[in-house]
Amino acid sequence: MERDIGKPIFDLLLLIASAAAFAAAMALPDIEIVGDLSPAFFPKLISAMIFLFAIPCLVKDVREWRAAVPAGGSRPANRRGVMQWLWIVGLTVVYILLFEPLGYIPSTAVFAFCCVIGLLIASGVWGELSASQRVKSLGGAAIFAIVLAVAIYYVFTDLFEIPLPD
Amino acid sequence: MISGYLEGLGMVLQVGTLLAIAGGTLLGIIMGALPGLTSAMAIALLLPVTFGMPPVMGIGMLLGALCGAGASGSIPAILLNIPGTPSSVATTFDGFPMAQKGEAGRALGLAIVASFFGGVASMVILSLLAPPIAEFALRFGAAEYFSLSIFGLVIIASVAGKSLLKGLIAGLIGFFASTIGTDPITGVGRFTFDQLSLLTGINLLPALIGLFAVSQVLKDAFEYDPRQRLEESTHRIDIARPRFLETLRHWKAVVAGILSGSIVGPIPGAGGSIASLVAYDQTRRFSKSPEKFGTGHAPGIVSVESANNALLGGALIPTLALGIPGEAATAVLLGGLMIQGITPGPLLFDDQSGTVYGIFLAYLAANVFMLLIMCLGIKLFIRVLMVPRKQLLAAILVFCFIGVYGVDGDVFNLYLMLGFGVLGYFLNRYDFGTAPVILGLILGPIAEANLRRGLQAFQGDWTPFFTRPISLTFLVIAVGLLALTLWQNYRGNRRSESNASS
Repeated sequence: MERDIGKPIFDLLLLIASAAAFAAAMALPDIEIVGDLSPAFFPKLISAMIFLFAIPCLVKDVREWRAAVPAGGSRPANRRGVMQWLWIVGLTVVYILLFEPLGYIPSTAVFAFCCVIGLLIASGVWGELSASQRVKSLGGAAIFAIVLAVAIYYVFTDLFEIPLPD
Repeated sequence: MISGYLEGLGMVLQVGTLLAIAGGTLLGIIMGALPGLTSAMAIALLLPVTFGMPPVMGIGMLLGALCGAGASGSIPAILLNIPGTPSSVATTFDGFPMAQKGEAGRALGLAIVASFFGGVASMVILSLLAPPIAEFALRFGAAEYFSLSIFGLVIIASVAGKSLLKGLIAGLIGFFASTIGTDPITGVGRFTFDQLSLLTGINLLPALIGLFAVSQVLKDAFEYDPRQRLEESTHRIDIARPRFLETLRHWKAVVAGILSGSIVGPIPGAGGSIASLVAYDQTRRFSKSPEKFGTGHAPGIVSVESANNALLGGALIPTLALGIPGEAATAVLLGGLMIQGITPGPLLFDDQSGTVYGIFLAYLAANVFMLLIMCLGIKLFIRVLMVPRKQLLAAILVFCFIGVYGVDGDVFNLYLMLGFGVLGYFLNRYDFGTAPVILGLILGPIAEANLRRGLQAFQGDWTPFFTRPISLTFLVIAVGLLALTLWQNYRGNRRSESNASS
């Protein structure tokens, strides 16, 4: 079995988050209505249950992590995957930030272009391309981004009457 | 019932509705044909498009996607030995060997017709079983609804994640998220952080799209490797036409598939892979030539594909009649129904019988469209497999954005969608599963409201929840299932430990 520290870390984060949620639930006002539970009852109960259930998960995943052999040759692939993942998440945050200020078509075209080219760069393929191949990739990505943004805009605004920021 | 069917027929037999069902089916087929993309994702992406539509049109479109994806998973399974959806795993057993013999078209033709038969039969079973179950459920009060919610959550938690505890945690995360917003009884704001968008609670749509579409895109982005290219199929597909007579000659395999799908389908969380494997196993067991299975034997394909689509109708039974979904795709569909303003459950059959029968007929129409579109466009869908992943990921994310933003123009929901996407990615990666989260979000308010309503009615007395027969039955089954799953997990752990030590 391959060693993955992510599992116990995720369990630990769950423990911390559920403890924080429980503390936040404790701060909710305790309003008494005859025969009813307070609004804090369910949040407290659920966060406590998540905390309790996460403990055996953490113990099991730590034991499995310690028993597993360290990963061998898959490190570069893993690093590449992390880069690609972070690129998409980061780009999505920027897309959200620019969506209204820039308008739908420009922000979407920029997002789609950066998404395609960014994945090529993050995957390491960009470095293997010749100059002409790079120009071709840039051109292809630009055409794809513009066509995607414009086509979707008209389909959604005209056909489905869903308003999008101009 | 007949008046309900006539009313429903009037809703379905409209150009707009039929086009919507056909469009949904087409998208479902494309998504199902792409390995890694699921029917749940297809439905989640289509949800925003259905907002302005009348209920039967919108739900028909989503059912089309469900039906199309259920059938088209066979395309990569047969041509590339890669199951398009988890339920197509067993299709590779005989589909790919048949394709290797140069009979890919025959395998696809059999798969298409078997899917159609399975889908139509399951629609009949759905329309026969759902109304009496819903009628029975009319006896439910607050105690029964609370117990049913707990039962549904336990069932899906026990099968969705790889471990019971992790599945339960995922369900509880959804349950906790459902408490965010203004408390409906006291009016107290819970975890709203003065954010206006959270006052009415977590919006279901960003959660659905985040958990089922964005999380999948993030997974694909992590695994993206441009050096890995799918080899274009070299198999002959020019004879990919529907094989009605040949499929009917293997009627026993069709019946085995329909029975397996219909029995496994309503069991919440059981999933398509179980139904298709059961169908395959039963067909081989009762076959006169079991040795031919796995070598490109037609009954193997027929049983699996009929089970895959029979499962969908079966899974719709608890979804529509009780409001408890059968698996991930129907969990998303349940969310879609609620967004459409339809509250699944027994009252739906009483109050909106025309809509219910319209949904049944829309599902039948979806199967007909699936047959037609698959037969006409089979070569096109094979080309879909060659669509570059990076462009596809970008396009899917743009669709997610428009879907979430287009509903109420609230940018906060886009952050919520991304948050649920990241959460869903890690929940899937670390074996928690995402289906329980959605179920927790949907069932959480039902459980909380009915528990509190029940306690008010019973003057703070908890005992009726454990003494009313139906409520007690649900709780006993839930506890029994918990115990059974824990025991199975324990045995599995012991077995793997002893294997590791030997």
